[in-house]
Amino acid sequence: MMAAVGAPEVITQLESAAKVLMAPPSMVSTEQRQHAEHVFLSFRKSKSPFAICKHILETSKVDYVLFQAATAIMEAVVREWILLEKTSIESLRAFLLTYVLQRPNLQKYVREQILLAVAVIVKRGSLDKSISCKSIFHEVGQLISSGNPTVQTLACSILTALLSEFSSSSKTSSIGLSMEFHGNCKRLFQEEGLRQIFMLTMEVLQEFSRRENLNAQMSCVFQRYLALANQVLSWNFLPPNHILFATQNVTLKPTETWREALLDTRIMDLFFTVHRKIREDSDMAQDSLQCLAQLASMHGPIFPDESAQISYLAHLVEGLLSMINGIEIEDSEAVGISNIISNLITMFPRSVLTALPSELFTSFINCLTLLTCSFGRSAALEEVLDKDDMVYMDAYDKLLESWLTLVQDEEHFPRGCFVQPAIQVFNSYIQCHLAAPDGTRNLSVNGISSHDEEEINELQEDDRELFSDQLSSIGMLGRVAADHCIPLLTSLLEDRVTRLHGQLQRTQQHLMASSDLGSVDRKVLDDLYEDIHWLILVSGYLLADDPQGETPLIPSEVMEFSIKHSTEVDINTTLQILGSPGEKASSIPGCNRTDSVIRLLSAVLRTSEVESRATRASLTELLSPQMGKDIVWFLRRWAKTYLLVDEKLYEQISMPLSTAFGADTEGAQWIVGYLLEKVINNLSVWSSEAELANDTVELLVTLVEKRERANIVVQCESWWNLAKQFASRSPPLHLLSSSVQRSLMKALVLGGFAHMDSDTKQQYWAEVLHPLQQRFLNLINQENFAQISQEEAVKQEIVATLEALCGIAEATQIDNVASLFSFLMDFLSSCIGLMEVYSNTPETINLIIEVFVEVAHKQICYLGETKSMKLYEACLTLLQVYSKNNQSRKRSDATAEEDQYQDLLLIMELLTNLLSKEFIDFSDTDEVFRNQDQGTPASSRTVSAADVVLYGVNIVLPLMSQDLLKFPSLCNQYYKLITFICEIFPEKIPQLPEDLFKSLMFSLELGMTSMSSEISQLCLEALSPLAEQCAKNQKDSPLFIATRHFLKLVFDMLVLQKHNTEMTVAAGEALYTLVCLHQAEYSELVETLLSSQRDAVIYQRLADAFNKLTASSTPPTMDRKQKVAFLKSLEEFVANVGGLLCVK
Amino acid sequence: MADPDLDFQTGESGASATYPMQCSALRKNGYVVLKGRPCKIVEMSTSKTGKHGHAKVNLVGIDIFTNKKYEDMCPSTHNMDVPSIKRIDYQLVNINEGYMSLMSDNGDIREDLRVPDNDVGREIETKFEAGDEFMVTVLSSFCTLEPL
Repeated sequence: MMAAVGAPEVITQLESAAKVLMAPPSMVSTEQRQHAEHVFLSFRKSKSPFAICKHILETSKVDYVLFQAATAIMEAVVREWILLEKTSIESLRAFLLTYVLQRPNLQKYVREQILLAVAVIVKRGSLDKSISCKSIFHEVGQLISSGNPTVQTLACSILTALLSEFSSSSKTSSIGLSMEFHGNCKRLFQEEGLRQIFMLTMEVLQEFSRRENLNAQMSCVFQRYLALANQVLSWNFLPPNHILFATQNVTLKPTETWREALLDTRIMDLFFTVHRKIREDSDMAQDSLQCLAQLASMHGPIFPDESAQISYLAHLVEGLLSMINGIEIEDSEAVGISNIISNLITMFPRSVLTALPSELFTSFINCLTLLTCSFGRSAALEEVLDKDDMVYMDAYDKLLESWLTLVQDEEHFPRGCFVQPAIQVFNSYIQCHLAAPDGTRNLSVNGISSHDEEEINELQEDDRELFSDQLSSIGMLGRVAADHCIPLLTSLLEDRVTRLHGQLQRTQQHLMASSDLGSVDRKVLDDLYEDIHWLILVSGYLLADDPQGETPLIPSEVMEFSIKHSTEVDINTTLQILGSPGEKASSIPGCNRTDSVIRLLSAVLRTSEVESRATRASLTELLSPQMGKDIVWFLRRWAKTYLLVDEKLYEQISMPLSTAFGADTEGAQWIVGYLLEKVINNLSVWSSEAELANDTVELLVTLVEKRERANIVVQCESWWNLAKQFASRSPPLHLLSSSVQRSLMKALVLGGFAHMDSDTKQQYWAEVLHPLQQRFLNLINQENFAQISQEEAVKQEIVATLEALCGIAEATQIDNVASLFSFLMDFLSSCIGLMEVYSNTPETINLIIEVFVEVAHKQICYLGETKSMKLYEACLTLLQVYSKNNQSRKRSDATAEEDQYQDLLLIMELLTNLLSKEFIDFSDTDEVFRNQDQGTPASSRTVSAADVVLYGVNIVLPLMSQDLLKFPSLCNQYYKLITFICEIFPEKIPQLPEDLFKSLMFSLELGMTSMSSEISQLCLEALSPLAEQCAKNQKDSPLFIATRHFLKLVFDMLVLQKHNTEMTVAAGEALYTLVCLHQAEYSELVETLLSSQRDAVIYQRLADAFNKLTASSTPPTMDRKQKVAFLKSLEEFVANVGGLLCVK
Repeated sequence: MADPDLDFQTGESGASATYPMQCSALRKNGYVVLKGRPCKIVEMSTSKTGKHGHAKVNLVGIDIFTNKKYEDMCPSTHNMDVPSIKRIDYQLVNINEGYMSLMSDNGDIREDLRVPDNDVGREIETKFEAGDEFMVTVLSSFCTLEPL
């Protein structure tokens, strides 16, 4: 052993270096600091520093030096493991432990570091079996039984350090060993050590929970062991033959060996007891509840059979109920308790839940009901108080989510068992959202209502999105208890509408007397608006779903509810109520014999009617735009599902619903007319409320996007008036925001494809599209256009036209693409002319490119060869002009924001859209254009997609700097584009000019190695086609050389680096094609790797694995079958030796 | 004459200097009069007071002549004044005691504009001395430069 010769000098040097590092920044120079750091780094690297380190630990008084000495020991032990005598390692470990034990006053960070060194030694030794783990647990056990709180705390620190080291997670120290080693250690540990830690912890908790009163020091120890228990129960158990990396929200899935420990009911009881004892301490309560939540998530092989699972769950639920019943829940318990419930509902199979004794199950459901209602009320209170930490809101969300899970599996449970709970939860939700006296909204604890008007900015989400999860659950519960909930919503809404009507009338009279709007008390109105707001939102979520892209169906519960009562319903009265939104529902004779589903819609229509009438009476300023949004939002959601209900989609259909809203019914016609009037009225009254106008125009789009509905719409005179008004760009429609105008154009075009006789159709287009063309041509063909082009009025006209063109493109469907394409093509060339005129106005340039983007996006997939070529030509010209203008364009790059590069983004989008035709092509034989052109022969083909796209790439590549790739949208679009190009036109890549080729290759490498996994995957996908391309051609091209480089990159990525498993397939495909191309280089890579292995066993394992990898594909050829075989072997390869070379 | 205001006021005769527009119909990059100054809109956002309140528009504009920043807020239904802005291209013929001789497309010459005392102005002078031929764009009577 090395004697401590020169030790005092070393210590002095280290201590003065520590002083430098600890000094305030102003006192030392950067060089001094770097030098000091260097001193420590080289100290830690010194050979066998054990003696000197021991000496330091025993003599130095400087904490930081002690810390470094501990670190040096840890690093050196791992480094020199094979050279060290096992006994000296053993004594080193003993020394460190004794050292810490004898010095209770060590700084915490020094102590933790020394214990870390101990843990690392234990871990490193665990696989050799050279150092027995058992001895350390024995020692720790003795420490615990000492009864001395300081020693017990120390014991806890040791166990915690072991847990972190063996968890093989981000907390684990890097010790330069393979992931396989880490995984094996972890697997071994979770069968033995972990369980011992758990048992030790349980003993401590048992001990403490028995004591009557705990002093501060003891309860501190208690808390640490509770946290440790939580860590054990949150252990991410490794399944056999698998190396998992950290995941979030680990559920408890222990192995079979844990049966005895965890299925013992005393363990669970202990946690309930512990929680009872400490629940008033909010920090500790969080840990104890989290332990229970982990126990509630337990699943997997630990349960020998279902009956074991059932009795475990029964015990858990009993414990939970007796814990909750009879206590007043603390704020800090809410989230924890809801986690327990949510975990057990999600993790236990339905069959196990239903196998609970029925009394227990009923008590559980009742308890859950009460808890949900109570958390809901507390959540409402939190909102009133505007708390930062919304614990009850989180807990309430969790419980509502659990209800949704339960109710969606309703068929597994006893029939009707959720109806009463659903009624209670629904009622309490409504109550919390209504104003007094019916509800408790904005009431604080002492019953005083608060009402403040805060500033709300446009970024704040609407309640319907903000609370969409809650509303979905409540809507679902409302369906379960439809008998109660639908009539309740109806009567509440009808009542509020009547009151709103009265209040508006009174206000109007008041205004006639004083005419000062400021004197109006808005409190009553605002309360009514808020009530109506929530009632409409809940009604919308109850009556209909909003699935994206599918045809929404009437929910079966609602349908059944309507059918069930259809015999008691008078259909004429129902229709009368529906058709007279201007009258009070209750004033209509026989109003209690109406279909409730229709009646609820009628209530919303009544709200809508009061709103419309108020606008006609010039009371718009008194109205709520929020309520206006709610109304059109509801009507849209409703119309998608109910209007012209298609009987073929349902097993059985309710007579009232099909009579009122079915195809060819007067009801449907009436309601289409009504909705159209509403839209038109809103667009003129609410042009200043952008969001409301947007929701309104979306309702209009919904009305015409389905042919059946559009057929009725175009029969309405008001539709034609709207079309004319918009085409003439006269007030008030021209005041609408550009996005609304765009959607309006889209709706008008969609409507034009409804069923009409040919004269009418011609007339329609003459009204809608031709004025647009005419105005545009008149303007740009004016002699002095160049001079007047910069005038605001002219610019506005141009912008409006461009927006309209985008709207027209958006309206494209397969059966209208022929006529829309021809119409738009006429514009495209004129648009290119405008590029020159407006080269100084980036926003106009962007809009012009956007027109092209939209046309390509919506239409290219339907276009046949000749049409596509026309579009390619137009795009090519656009790109040429863009490129020319771009050369002289200055960009203020220093502080450039993403939106300054909108044009670049759009160009890339355009190119990607053009390329997408290669993937999605619906145009077999120009069929949609059958009677229009008889295709020019292909030989006269002038411009191909490749030409356009490569021309575009020539423009884009030089502009895409690494700085620009920091903008996510640009980066994604760019890589999408270049991957597409490599996949579709690999033959064009070698033809690129040298510098472009280089920057493309560089981009691929950059994307593969230092971007997100999504982009890395895109780049990998680009490699196979490039390699295949190379195989066909000459062997010394730059591309050939580049692919050789990529072979090494992909090889390293797959074999040496920790990579995302999702990428294995993409990387594997790339690797295989690259291997085919560069077989010699591949062998060389394998050889180099093997020769660097010193361990003979590992060498053999690797060599075998590599042989197996290519066995099925020797010699490698670009054959699909072989490639698939290779990919399969690769999967085994990664599972087998993947962890061997990847080092942490 | 140092005050560019005067240039603006005397720019056009006959045509109305402003016209009204509903606040919600204003657009970013468009123009508006804020605190009596013609501004280019650089930021536009909406807000409301209370959940059931009506939209208000918050405008940030940059004075097109002085580059000073102005802010304003108004209900979205109100009308705002939008300045009429004209751009005319002239060829620079001469610079005489700080005044430019500008010739329009139809040959008319105006000599009432100073070379502006800023970067653009200096660029005009440099280019002129270098003998370059170029156009000067006059924005409602003040200068921005577009080299030809």
